[in-house]
Parts: sequence; C-alpha cells; structure tokens
Amino acid sequence: MQPAMQLKNVNKSIGKKKIIKDLSFEIYPGEVFGFLGPNGAGKTTTIRMMVGLMKISAGDILINGVSVSKNYKQAVRQVGAIVENPEMYPFMSGWKNLKHFARMIPGITDERIKEVIALVGLEKAIHEKVGKYSLGMRQRIGVAQALLHNPSILILDEPTNGLDPAGIREIRQYIRKLAEEENVAVIVSSHLLSEIELMCDRIGIIKNGELVTVEKVADESNEDQDLQVLIEVSPIDTAVKVIEDAFNISASIEENKLAIKTKKEIIPQIIQELVKHQLEIYEVVTNNASLEDKFFEMIGENTIA
Amino acid sequence: MRNFFSLINNEQIKLYSRFSTWSMYIILAGIILASGLITFFFSDGLEEYGDNWREELQAKNEEYLEMQAEDEVFGDLYAYDIAKNEYYLENDIKPLSYDAWQFALENAGLTMLVSLFTIIVAASIVSSEFKWGTIKLLLIRPISRGKILWTKYVNVLIFSISMLIFSFLINLIIGAILFGINGLSPNIVIEGANGFEQVSVVSEILTKYGLNMVNLIIMATFAFMISTLFRNNSMAIGLAIFLMFAGDIIVSFLSKYDWAKFILFANTNLNQYMGNQSPVIDGMTLGFSITVLVVYYIIFLLVSWLSFTRRDVAGH
Repeated sequence: MQPAMQLKNVNKSIGKKKIIKDLSFEIYPGEVFGFLGPNGAGKTTTIRMMVGLMKISAGDILINGVSVSKNYKQAVRQVGAIVENPEMYPFMSGWKNLKHFARMIPGITDERIKEVIALVGLEKAIHEKVGKYSLGMRQRIGVAQALLHNPSILILDEPTNGLDPAGIREIRQYIRKLAEEENVAVIVSSHLLSEIELMCDRIGIIKNGELVTVEKVADESNEDQDLQVLIEVSPIDTAVKVIEDAFNISASIEENKLAIKTKKEIIPQIIQELVKHQLEIYEVVTNNASLEDKFFEMIGENTIA
Repeated sequence: MRNFFSLINNEQIKLYSRFSTWSMYIILAGIILASGLITFFFSDGLEEYGDNWREELQAKNEEYLEMQAEDEVFGDLYAYDIAKNEYYLENDIKPLSYDAWQFALENAGLTMLVSLFTIIVAASIVSSEFKWGTIKLLLIRPISRGKILWTKYVNVLIFSISMLIFSFLINLIIGAILFGINGLSPNIVIEGANGFEQVSVVSEILTKYGLNMVNLIIMATFAFMISTLFRNNSMAIGLAIFLMFAGDIIVSFLSKYDWAKFILFANTNLNQYMGNQSPVIDGMTLGFSITVLVVYYIIFLLVSWLSFTRRDVAGH
C-alpha cells in the first residue's frame, strides 16, 4: 500500500542549529497516527514542513507520492490541516469564513460546506461571528475548514488543546470516524500521551528533533503483551501469598492493592484462585502500562527538555 | 484567472467586513462636508457676476489697486487677483461662479487623506494575516504564495481607486448641493506655466488627482513592503506615515547635496513640474523623476515578493 504521507530523512536547520534530525516515517490511509513529544521537541516544525509553511533543509516529504518541496500545489491539494491554534477571521461569521477558504480551491459547492458543518455539528452557530465562538467551537470550525476539499490526509496540531473532557471525547470520536469511514490518514500531535493513545493506531515519539520510536497502540485483542493488573482484595497479605504459590509470578503491594504483571488470559485463573481462598475482591483493574513506561523512559520525567 | 478573481473577491470581502474600513469612508465624507460648509458660510470669494460683469470686474480691480497701494506688507497678495481679472477682461471671458467642479478641484489636496487610509490598508493587509494567525490557513492551499501576495497588492490598488472615486463623487455632490454646478465640463481660468490660461475643469481635476495618485501608490507600496518584511502593521503604518509627512523636510534639509535628487521624496510630488512651480532641486526633470519613481517602485515590489515567497512561516 502506498503511504499517504512519507517522510524521508527530513532535516531542518535554523542558522547553525539543527532542530529536526533525519526524521523518517510513513502514515497510511485509514490510519490515525499520533505524533507525540514534549513541548519544543519539533512537532509543530515537522507539521509546518509537511504543509509547506517551512522549507525542508534536507530530505523530502511525499504526499501520496508527490513531493512537497518540488510539486507543492499538487501535494498540498491532498492535505487539510490545522497548524497550532484553529485561527479564523474573528470579524466574519463561521459561514463566511468557510466560504472564504472554499473559494481558494475550485469545485467546493455550498452543499459540501453544509455537509462539513453538519459533520462537526456547528449548524446552530454558523452565522455567528467567529470572534464569539468558544474554544471548542473554534476547534470544530478549524476541522471544518480542513475537511472542505475532501483531503486524503488530515493534520491536526494539538487538537485537544484547551478543550474540556467532553470536547476531547467528541474530537476523538470524529477523528476515528474519518479514518474508519472515509479512509483518511489522520496525523494528530500532542504532548500528552493520555490524550492521544485512545484515538491513535500508532504513535511516533519525538524528542529533541529526533524520532525515538514508533509504537503500535496495543488494543484489547493483543494478548501477547504483559498487562499490569491491580486487584483490591482483602486481606491483602494472604492474597500475595496465594498468588505466588499458585502461579509462577511475583506479586507486590502498591497503594494497598495487589499488583501483578501478567498476560490477559491468566487473569480469570487468578480471580478464581482468589475466590477459592474466600478472599474478598472489590475491584480488578488492568492497564497497558508499557507505552506510558516507554514514553517516560524515553522522554524523562522532566518533559521540558 | 477564475481563481485570481476569487482571491480578489476574498480580499474585498475581508476588507469590507470590518467597520474600520467603512469608518474611513465616513471620515472622508465628513471632512469634505465640513470643508464645503466652511467655504459656504465663511468664504467671501463666492460673488456671482451679472450681465454687466465687465464693469464689476473693473470696479473690483480699482478697489484692489487701492488696497495694494495702502498695504505695504501684504499688498502684493492682490497682484494675483488683479492679473486674473485683467485676463478675463482682455479675453472677454465672463468669470464663472464658484461651483461643484471648482470645489472638487480645490479639494484635490484631500487625496492626502486617501493616501493615509490606503497606507493603513496596505500596511495591514499582509501583516494582519500574521497577527490573526490566518496566514497559515491561507498558505496551505494549492495556490502559490506569489499569487496570494499579488492579489493582496491588487486589492490595495482597488481600494485606493475606489476611495479616490468616492472622494471625487462626494466632492461633486456636496459641491452641487451647496454651490450649484456650471454644466458638464466648464472652462476655468488658472495660472499655468505661461501665465493665465483657460482650461477645461475636468481635465484639470484629472491631472491634479492623477498626480496625487502617484504619491499615493508609491507610499502605499512602501507600506506594503514594510508590512510584508516585518509582518507588523503598526511599524509599517508608522514608518510610512512618518515618511509621507517628513519626506519634504528630509529633502529640503539635504537639498544642498546633489545626490538628494535620488531620494524618493524629492520625486514623489510631480506637481513640482506643473504650472509655474520649480523643482525641489535644480536640474530635475519630469522624466528623471519618473525614472527614479519606477526604480523605487520595482525595488519595493521585489523586496515584498522575495520576503513573502522565500521566508518560513514560523511560530509567534
């Protein structure tokens, strides 16, 4: 399958300072790709190079096989983006703003504009001035302008910035919808793992302008991986003993809970074992800690590197 | 081409969606109205001549001659009026009463205000996009940066021309209401390079407005360049307006040097070659000034274009 976007040894220097070093990765149609890194790691710079706002010092970026640096107009035709904040003309209504951007690309009908407005759920406020919009509404109008021309790649720079939990959830839902139903490749940047791991298929971690790793986000069906299981059980000391005796795994106590690292298929057996010994179970929580561990391991606790 | 017109349309919509643009038109109309009312109520040069205008003019000239003889300090001021009246009598032309055309001609100086407003628009049309952050959305469309810059510049020119036409029409309307109008294109008597002559008022108005337009376009292009270069509209507005007003002072300060004739402001006022005026620095000709202006103009546009198309759009 041809990648929707392909970065080939992309470098960016400003003066003598190298701010992006040999970045290479691919994003495929229908995939949500998370671009993760602490503030100042070079996420926005990379995104600016993807859409041609900044020149690539060395290397190239291909969009559906077309080079951004050599054939800009044809390449960027496939891209819709919000770079940093979703800024629009505050003195014009949402509708006028969308009309403005629609006029810049031939073939966008009023029907298409209405379709996009419906998709982001802005029908009610579309004739109000954008200056009066809340941050959440601005994010939506930003997504709407990015989708006007049916791009095959959607780039969203920190789309959850400043949104409340309900807004974040909504953004997450329609990003997934776009990827799954319209086969759009979506690139989402963030400095918070917790915000994007729920919506992404893969996450690329960047630090100091270098790509550290690209990880697949483990879904429920991934049974090979070790899961961290926390069980609130009483009495807890007996439980530790029971587990260590019955299974060949080590158990510890964390915050008054029984903590075990094990595979998903073992969990029912552990619970049965605990029940058999008539221990009282209040809660069983699993979390896939590996990605978060990796993130912190690589980025370090101090995220402002 | 279709694309080009859509972009122009976009820029016009953005410009006229803001109240500040409309307020410029309102201020301009207000000042023209005020100047009309002041002329109407306080000016004493509005007398009309009847059928025996020859006697009236002669009587007036005698009166002027008397006053000239009495007043030693300012007496010479009457010489212009006396000479003009004599021209009327010699050529047997009946003086026209003051009317809308002459009002519009007198107010040609108000193009200075049009320049001021055009500079404000030119200075903010690019930098505002940076200020609002919308430049990022403009530049990620399949349109070359050069084209976007060009449509913005053309939009400034359209604005200045609409404002100039507006100012001219308002002058005519207010003038016609207050002073009446003497036909479609009456001839008036003005002092040209070779003494007094009779010219069509419309051609005189076109010349005056046209010459002021040169200054307007050069200064607007300068503001446009500063705005593209520094991406900051207050700086562009400030610098352009300062130079517009201080330009003459700078030139007169440096006029003892020969190279001063290459300074932009020594050349922007093409009125210096009209009528009986003499150029700021000896030896300058109309052709020379036009050449200097064209060179500056091309440099301004080139700098804007290079800066806009080559530079990265980085964060704030």
